[in-house]
Amino acid sequence: MLDRSSLAGIVLLTAMTMAAQAHDESKYPNWRGQWSRSTGPAQWDPKKPAGLRQEPPLTSEYQAIWEANMASQASGGEGYNPQAFCLPSGMPRMMIAYEPLEIIVTAETTYVRVDHLSEFRRIYTDGRSWPDVVDPTYAGYSIGTWIDTDSDGRYDLLEVETRHLKGPRTFDASGIPMHKDSETVIKERIYLDKSNPDLLRDEVTTIDHALTRPWTVTRDYRRARDAVWYEHICAEENHHVVIGKESYFLSANGELMPTRKDQPPPDLRYFNRPRK
Amino acid sequence: MRLRLVVSALTAMFFASGNYATAHHSFAMFDQDNQVDLEGVVQEFRFIAPHTFIILEVKQEDGTTEVWALEGVSPSALAREGWTRTSLRPGDEIKLRVAPLRSGVPGGAWVTQQIKFRDGKPVAANP
Repeated sequence: MLDRSSLAGIVLLTAMTMAAQAHDESKYPNWRGQWSRSTGPAQWDPKKPAGLRQEPPLTSEYQAIWEANMASQASGGEGYNPQAFCLPSGMPRMMIAYEPLEIIVTAETTYVRVDHLSEFRRIYTDGRSWPDVVDPTYAGYSIGTWIDTDSDGRYDLLEVETRHLKGPRTFDASGIPMHKDSETVIKERIYLDKSNPDLLRDEVTTIDHALTRPWTVTRDYRRARDAVWYEHICAEENHHVVIGKESYFLSANGELMPTRKDQPPPDLRYFNRPRK
Repeated sequence: MRLRLVVSALTAMFFASGNYATAHHSFAMFDQDNQVDLEGVVQEFRFIAPHTFIILEVKQEDGTTEVWALEGVSPSALAREGWTRTSLRPGDEIKLRVAPLRSGVPGGAWVTQQIKFRDGKPVAANP
């Protein structure tokens, strides 16, 4: 005889099976597989060289912050870049795809799993409206709409809007900043290239108070259909250490090493203090 | 053994815009304009994210040894070049090009396309 928990399990399984059947796969695009950055370099706008030639439309205040970040970088520092010590990139930087992406499409939600820094996005496509209260996150809260642009009975475009983000976030490793208020709004159009089903495009428009106007870039991803997935645990083999504003590097045995000439050691005032 | 190099613009560009520009952190701490060629014995090959590492024992001119911590690209990026976690094993003798830490201590970043076994055999072909 079935006990109460077994019965509950069967009911849940049946409900999940029915929900899965309700997802008519023929209506959704096939985005299965492993998606890797196709354009190589990881600056935010892949069509422009890294550094100043990115020409982000920053306000003068945030242009100065960016230039200070790059000056810090030039001397070997990167305290402005929390991803160096394993904090998430967040949106939109996670879509640079430093490591491959996996996109899991269901009727209610499209999930984007990002290998790099083990980041994860949920894009709700169940018709919901914006909740009154959302706890901000690095990935933000995303609502999407599927569109059948050529009226062939199958969706081919996912439009996404992302809000409710938290910082600090930068566009890329050069430290192009986003505003401290984290009121960023990100709009995306994600679709397969019409002539190449193994090429995915994401047109990303970022609206942020650090910018003088919306900034749109298009990022491309190439599909591997039978790919190997590597575990990516950032803390497992990360030799970059930032203490205060100084960047250090770990030796083979885990000792702290300076990254630049005449770099001061960390402040050790709390070590070897006599007990009171 | 450690040899200082005058680096060609091409090699410097590799670091600036090649596969090293794909990382989540900047490479400014590594001196890309003053790369060195190292020869040594692999103590350990760590095929682990976010960056693979070669721990290399390098003999100095005075006969002592120094252990270098050398950062490479991620396992998935190396795998695309044909590498596996057993491409290097402890005891392997290798030659490689490195952008050393600016501080002069034994750490740096190695260039995927410029590493081979001491006898000249390519590493990526190692099963």
